[in-house]
Amino acid sequence: MRPIEKWDRITGYILLIIGVVTAWSSTQLAMGSFKRPGPGFLPFGLACILIVLAVALIASRWKKGSGRIPFWPERTWLRPLLGSLAFALYAFLIGLIGFLLTTFVFMILWMWVIEGISWRQIATVSTGVTLVLYLIFSYFLEVPLPGGIFS
Amino acid sequence: MGEIFNVFQGLANGFDLAFSLTNLSFALIGAILGTMVGILPGLGPSATIALLLPLSFKIGSPVTSIIMMAGIFYGAMYGGSTTSILVNIPGEAASVVTCIDGYQMALKGRAGPALGMAAIGSFVAGTIGVLGLTFVAPPLAEFALKFGPPEYFSLTLLGLVMATLLGGDSIVKGLIMIILGLLLGSIGLDPISGAIRFTWGFHMLQEGIDFVTLAMGMFGIGEILFNLERILKAELVTRKISHLWPSLKDWVDCKWPIVRGSFIGFLIGILPGGGAVISSLVSYAVEKRVAKNPDEFGKGAIQGVAGPESANNAAASASFIPLLTLGIPGNAAIAMIFAALLIQGVTPGPFLITEKPDVFWGVVASMYIGNVMLLILNLPMVGLWVQLLRVPYSILAPIIILFCCVGVFSVRNSVFDIWVMGIFGVVGYIFRKLALEPGPLILAFVLGPILERSIRQALLMSAGSPAIFFTRPISGTLMAALVLFIVFQIFMNRRKRRQME
Repeated sequence: MRPIEKWDRITGYILLIIGVVTAWSSTQLAMGSFKRPGPGFLPFGLACILIVLAVALIASRWKKGSGRIPFWPERTWLRPLLGSLAFALYAFLIGLIGFLLTTFVFMILWMWVIEGISWRQIATVSTGVTLVLYLIFSYFLEVPLPGGIFS
Repeated sequence: MGEIFNVFQGLANGFDLAFSLTNLSFALIGAILGTMVGILPGLGPSATIALLLPLSFKIGSPVTSIIMMAGIFYGAMYGGSTTSILVNIPGEAASVVTCIDGYQMALKGRAGPALGMAAIGSFVAGTIGVLGLTFVAPPLAEFALKFGPPEYFSLTLLGLVMATLLGGDSIVKGLIMIILGLLLGSIGLDPISGAIRFTWGFHMLQEGIDFVTLAMGMFGIGEILFNLERILKAELVTRKISHLWPSLKDWVDCKWPIVRGSFIGFLIGILPGGGAVISSLVSYAVEKRVAKNPDEFGKGAIQGVAGPESANNAAASASFIPLLTLGIPGNAAIAMIFAALLIQGVTPGPFLITEKPDVFWGVVASMYIGNVMLLILNLPMVGLWVQLLRVPYSILAPIIILFCCVGVFSVRNSVFDIWVMGIFGVVGYIFRKLALEPGPLILAFVLGPILERSIRQALLMSAGSPAIFFTRPISGTLMAALVLFIVFQIFMNRRKRRQME
């Protein structure tokens, strides 16, 4: 199910703001003319088209505006949110404590908090995945993985 | 005659290259990965190629890395049908219609013939598609040598608009994604004057947004987050797969659907945005219309598997034609291959065949070989692949995310890029929820520099008169095609809406 109508209208307003800001900042660049188009020429044109499209999107959803479909029906926001948090934690920790430990912790957290599978599976899978990825990236592809405080 | 001779000579050299041990192994890796992501629901060829873009820095040879990525793209067309038939979930977007009759066949105990016919049809059509690529691409590239900036502008515009309108259901939303992609692409150095645009004071943005980061975020992370909303569970209808080799009656039934599917797929595949998804839908509709007993469709008609599965393979091969001859990718997966070529320092376009014959003929020759590999992988070995459906998404998802993180890190050894990718991932997730397709955005991002350079050069040529796009014969024809296409699309949308009401 896709949350349309009301959300489309809000999208339209956001795009409208992006269009106006972009158009304004394009005029701060050298616009040039039709004869000698400058760096601001095309972005300005694109921003104007975006404004028109945003208005069209808002207008097309104006009448049917009763749409009451929630953006995240029935707590479907939970797992994507947890996923994003796990991602952010990974990006934050990898520079601090290095690839091996971060990857191991990430796998455990993901499978425990988000998926809730059995501990035996978690232990085997996260150890296995960490080691295999380390071998692939470090030896086969020779990526200089961050070692963090252990390097 | 001389031209035909050149084709055969080029192909012979190409086979020489493609049969080298390295290239054969990477073709096999591509075929295996392609089949794998085709079978796994929730991971498509675009995301996979995006995931492997950092790898193309390491491979070093453009022929080898494109051979592998091409293999992933057309290999996914083979694998997709397996999941459609056995689980009733399309393993990959172009196999949606295969669910209809393929799953019904599996319920009736005819999973074997359905899988077999899908693989054989894919092979025949894939090979016809590559044959077409072999013979159509060289003359088309020669014709494209006549193109100047106005022609390039019109062609790119036509390609972008067609790709968007054929792919999605809302014209306005599709166009919005194109504009956003073009604007994102204009961040950083201006290609002509060297001025710095839209960096908002961030020094990291001066080089522009990196394609690998954008693609992996939008397609890798974004898709995972979107899939996390639901619980993807694959339940096999049957574990017993026998009679893979179709019976004589099946052959007779499928002979023409495969041939028709191949040609439909090839013709639609050449068009920008046409691609595999639409050709399989068209093929299904055609087969239903010409069938002797159309009532069978939806109840397990083997023609409904053979036709579309052939069409999507022919389309996959054909969609390399605009990339390798005009330098214009027609869909998101091909846009990733375009980016991989650029990473290797090869600019695809009309000069590719004459200036880098190794790249062109090597890749084309590998596609003949790849199709044979895929037939073997998907016909006798299909039982093995079915085991893959047992790997739960709960294990797959974190692994894909880890691949994205390390991949994007490896490009510049920068943790900052992981954060940027994460932001694009969240944006990609929200786009998907709003029914805004990220495909056109990626395509526009890639084509942005071509579009901007050509419009500005054309306007310099004409001393500021936009008439130049309409008065030159080739550009004028393309523009007329664009207008006709948009009018036709609006008309069709109206009719669809009226039918719905």
